Amino acid sequence: MAGPPTILHADLDAFYASVEQLLDPSLRGLPIAVGGGIVLAASYEAKRFGVASGMPASCARQLCPTLRFVGGHFAEYQRLADLVMAVLDDFTPLVQRISIDEAFLDVTGSVHLFGDGGTIADRIRTRVRAEIGLPISVGVATTKHLAKVASQVAKPDGLVVVEPGTEAEFLAPLPVHLLWGVGPVTEAKLASRGIATIGQLAGSEEGWLRSLLGQAVGTKMSHLASNRDHRSVKPGGRASSVGAQSGFGRTLATAELLRAVLGHLADRVGGRLRVAGRGGRTVTVRVRLAKLGTSSRSITRSRTLDQPVAATRTLADVAETLVLGALADHPDWPEVSLLAISVSNLVAVSGIQLELETTDRASSDPTRPGSATGSARWAVDHSVDAVRAKFGRAAVGYAGVTLSEYGSVPDEFRELAER
Amino acid sequence: MLADALGTAGRAATGRTGALPVLSGVRLVLDGNQLSVTGTDLDLTIQLTVEVGGEADGGVVLPARLASDIVRSLPAGKVELEVSDDNVHVSGGRSQFTVRPLSIDDYPKLAAPTTSATTLPAAEFGEALRQVVRAASTDDARPILTGVLFSAEEDGLRMVATDSYRLAVRDLPGQQALANAQRVLVPGRALGELARLVGGGADLVMRLGDRDASFEVGSTRLTTRLIDGEFPNYRQLIPADHPNLLTVERDALLDAIRRVKILARESTPVRLAMGGETLRISAITQDVGNASEELDAEFRGTDLVVAFNPDYLIAGVEACTGEHVTLATRDGMKPAVLRGQDAADYLYLLMPVRVPGS
Repeated sequence: MAGPPTILHADLDAFYASVEQLLDPSLRGLPIAVGGGIVLAASYEAKRFGVASGMPASCARQLCPTLRFVGGHFAEYQRLADLVMAVLDDFTPLVQRISIDEAFLDVTGSVHLFGDGGTIADRIRTRVRAEIGLPISVGVATTKHLAKVASQVAKPDGLVVVEPGTEAEFLAPLPVHLLWGVGPVTEAKLASRGIATIGQLAGSEEGWLRSLLGQAVGTKMSHLASNRDHRSVKPGGRASSVGAQSGFGRTLATAELLRAVLGHLADRVGGRLRVAGRGGRTVTVRVRLAKLGTSSRSITRSRTLDQPVAATRTLADVAETLVLGALADHPDWPEVSLLAISVSNLVAVSGIQLELETTDRASSDPTRPGSATGSARWAVDHSVDAVRAKFGRAAVGYAGVTLSEYGSVPDEFRELAER
Repeated sequence: MLADALGTAGRAATGRTGALPVLSGVRLVLDGNQLSVTGTDLDLTIQLTVEVGGEADGGVVLPARLASDIVRSLPAGKVELEVSDDNVHVSGGRSQFTVRPLSIDDYPKLAAPTTSATTLPAAEFGEALRQVVRAASTDDARPILTGVLFSAEEDGLRMVATDSYRLAVRDLPGQQALANAQRVLVPGRALGELARLVGGGADLVMRLGDRDASFEVGSTRLTTRLIDGEFPNYRQLIPADHPNLLTVERDALLDAIRRVKILARESTPVRLAMGGETLRISAITQDVGNASEELDAEFRGTDLVVAFNPDYLIAGVEACTGEHVTLATRDGMKPAVLRGQDAADYLYLLMPVRVPGS
């Protein structure tokens, strides 16, 4: 691993909560949470009490009785995050924004202008604090994955540089959940084999990890733990998938619930695909099955279509069939606590190639965008999109989606988080 | 000559080594001074006969790609093939190759169709193939649409193909190749190969059976299995009339579409704006740029814009004959019909791309 560390991961601290504290100085230094029935984001003061995002409000109040809930200033989130990204752009054209509040930078070509990776990181932190007023943590390393780990270690409001040659030493004592892609399930699996730190993971044999975690995950974990990561920083990289998810309390998976939730998710995913002028061939759903007194389990199902789709109704239909199939395979689990739709295999779609009605099976398939049904859906979607572009999301939508009670989290917030 | 024969027959041999590995080979059978070269994947068979200097009759099956590559690479001049025990020796100039053959005992027995033959003018038939096969589907999930329909019409033979985005119809008047009202569905892939074999001049002999069809050009015979199934009722897909008719110079149109297409990236359509005495062709690709070009044209009807997939449009214009082509349209969502002006024997129908605002 030659060369100085020039990959940066910049991540705004407790972003939504920090923005609220910035906008209302009376909230500064106080434990606050953005949200209503559920914690969408918590300030560091609140996190110290154990308050975490996704937590029901009642639970959070028990942990932290002085917790203050505040509403969300969605437009401000986007505006301020964009300002921060503009600061990053001043240091290198190689900025890859991976969510509203974090980005990778490759400053290899900028060091002769601004100084080494650590110096640039320091200047970014100073400028973001001075010009925008938000705390940002930065990790500096030789790979993207390590830079991200470093920024997590740097939090809150800190800077960590991992010097070349010290990577293994740096990673060894850290908990495995800091690795990209290690969620609670993988963490539990590793813990059951006595693996808690990245050092222990790196010391494990790759073949054994693959048999424990599955081929893909095992290989990836083994590589990351020993800092093998060849991904480059891709500026302006378009997303390779578009997705939306919705978590809720354990709920009986009735047809009505599925239709309402999946309709809502398809509406968001389809709308975003269409705004971006894209469509995708692969529709993937994730279902989290829940049962009282047992840990939940997640199932993923996908279907790859002949042609890229972005139509709301088509996405909802395909997703519903997939979810029903997954549920039918697990009759012992009648309840769900999360549903997600994502669309991948994305391509540009600027119109739909209409089809002749040749009366064979395929020409009447409504998932084909060029069929009579597909064409009608396209027209409806474009009318809805046009009205929304003028009057906002809530102005118009599919009956049963807009009218449903479901969804305690405002769509504007979801849009920010998923963008 | 042998290289060409091996290459041509090899195109019918399968690239996959599935249940019958021997199908990845070409069979060579020597009978006197006649060497017959055969390749087949059981659906499509191509057999050629070439004149050689034979010494001892016999047969062998060689890996198709390998045999073709070897013979093609040899210096011009005589090639010698010698079969001994388990090996085939190929030599030419001062080069020597030894190749392990595939088992000739495993090679399938191929029946030649025995139905009565029709003779067609090869040049005209070849042109018809090129005009129609382009509209056939290559999607194996829609098997019926991968075929070209041969049907008997009152005044001759008709060929039809559609991939559900376009539809091509060609009439060969005066050709009575089929029994009354007989319809057969010939795989487009086989006809695509046939189009490569059909040169100018010579006659083409066609045999259409119940399950197979064969075509002979010179010393080459192509046999194909027919597709079983009901071809869509294409007549109802062709609009009876069109309110708008554009007439434009064929070559100028082709050149213009090809130029504008450079800016129609990532499946972006080209837009044809018709009205007055000009045709304006344009394309916009988001984040890349745009292109437009104007052509002199004759137009009768109501001004309109229709968008098309540029490749489908080019394929259609190319297939039309004559100096001018006509494009008949209704609106941005209904099928459009391309024809060569004064060419009543061919039509190419294509569906537009629906774009915002249409």
